[in-house]
Amino acid sequence: MHLSPLPYLDPGSGSLIIQILIAALLGIGVAVRASWGSIKKLFGIKPKADDDDTDGDSN
Amino acid sequence: MATPTNSASRQLSASFRDPSGFLFTDNGILYRQINRAYAEDYARLMDSGLYEKLVKAGALIPHVETEQVSAESEAAFKVIQPERVPFISYPYEWSFSQLKDAALATLSIHKRALKLGMLLKDASAYNIQFVRGRAMLIDTLSFEIYKEGEPWMAYKQFCQHFLAPLALMSCRDVRLSQLLRVHIDGVPLDLASELLPFKTKFNFGLLTHIHVHAGSQKRYADKTVEPRKGMMSQQAMIGLIESLESTIKKLTWQPAGTEWGAYYEATNYSDSAFEHKKQLVRAWAEEKKPTLVWDLGGNTGVFSREAAASGAFTVSFDIDPAAVEQNYQVVKKNKEQNLLPLVLDLTNPSPAIGWDHAERDSFGQRGPADMTLALAVIHHLAISNNVPLPQLAQFFAARTKWLVIEFVPKSDSQVKRLLSSRKDIFPNYTREGFEAAFSERFKIHQAEPIHDSERTLYLMETR
Repeated sequence: MHLSPLPYLDPGSGSLIIQILIAALLGIGVAVRASWGSIKKLFGIKPKADDDDTDGDSN
Repeated sequence: MATPTNSASRQLSASFRDPSGFLFTDNGILYRQINRAYAEDYARLMDSGLYEKLVKAGALIPHVETEQVSAESEAAFKVIQPERVPFISYPYEWSFSQLKDAALATLSIHKRALKLGMLLKDASAYNIQFVRGRAMLIDTLSFEIYKEGEPWMAYKQFCQHFLAPLALMSCRDVRLSQLLRVHIDGVPLDLASELLPFKTKFNFGLLTHIHVHAGSQKRYADKTVEPRKGMMSQQAMIGLIESLESTIKKLTWQPAGTEWGAYYEATNYSDSAFEHKKQLVRAWAEEKKPTLVWDLGGNTGVFSREAAASGAFTVSFDIDPAAVEQNYQVVKKNKEQNLLPLVLDLTNPSPAIGWDHAERDSFGQRGPADMTLALAVIHHLAISNNVPLPQLAQFFAARTKWLVIEFVPKSDSQVKRLLSSRKDIFPNYTREGFEAAFSERFKIHQAEPIHDSERTLYLMETR
């Protein structure tokens, strides 16, 4: 299934392919972290505060 | 909808690429038209709470919806009036940390958007501006509804606009930021890959996002790959963004060993001369109440801060990236809201670039300022750069109403140093010659001898 509408930026074929490969690899890490988080939760360990909501002053 | 009859209405050429809408001004007020094609995305931005959340965090420019009509009103869905940015700056004028903060702000906004079902459809460094001392997204139309499984269309653009120049500045030479002045859509990745030191191939982020990425671009240059859904899970997208984030966070640059970094320690100024100059700048800024001040040759911003204290928005330009970096660190530390440090070579200031010379304004086009400070800078322009005094007067007169300018005579040790290795071909470089040349263009209001020095500080008004 195609995305519609097509993006106005040309994502670039080579950029698209490498992005998908790198992201697939890095996504595994995110998945592992997520499941590790739920295992820790089972044992009552609180997850760290979500830094993305507090990094308003990241700059 | 009626078409506007006001001839003062004009479309701005910085925003023609995006079919979602465009910027225009009417009677000096800046508006952004949102086209019908973007209606659904805009509604999601406003209704999902994303807009409110980002504006509250100081990450997105606030706007109000208006009834203004534009020249292309048949395509219009809405017209909004965004808050005006006090001074537009460009990535080739930013110090290392300014570009780094702009990059991290972009990624942070993209991540927050993902949580609310949207994403950034572009990642242009030109969409970020420094407002109230912070990197802020100024393009309200950069958001798009996220469709689970789609890749990030702006990945290539992000790498070219942010990661490549940051890596080059950090790992090779800070002056390579100037590549952005030539390459308006960011540093080509094959060029970055070639220029980066070999050791960067042992950095996972730089290896993948720049070196391997450049190789992949070359390999698939003549192949067509259509972006499809299901190409990339949301977890993969988050992994990608976090990898870019951590790669950029690890890039550093320490200002050291550059020409001016330790200027104030090496100056021939006594404490009392320095203090006197500060007092005069502060008093004149408070008296004339400028809205916009330019400090040309502002170094680390000591005198810019005197002007800023009067309430003026002050842009502190300097040629030295180390001084600008230090200045920006102070802005961040003290959360200063009306001071913007920028890198600029006055002898070769930022030109107008892009399509039809109209996408990014030149330094001169972004003026005039209400007040300009030219402190301890005239000898560099008149002697080191050989600009005749009448041309200097003309340059300043075209760019400012009030001019606070310091004359540094030939007897001053700094000028002696400049003349020590060359022939003195500047017979007119005297206080009398300076006053005569500047009187052609300015009315001299005050001429104050600076305590404990041979220098004079002038307050002038353009004729």
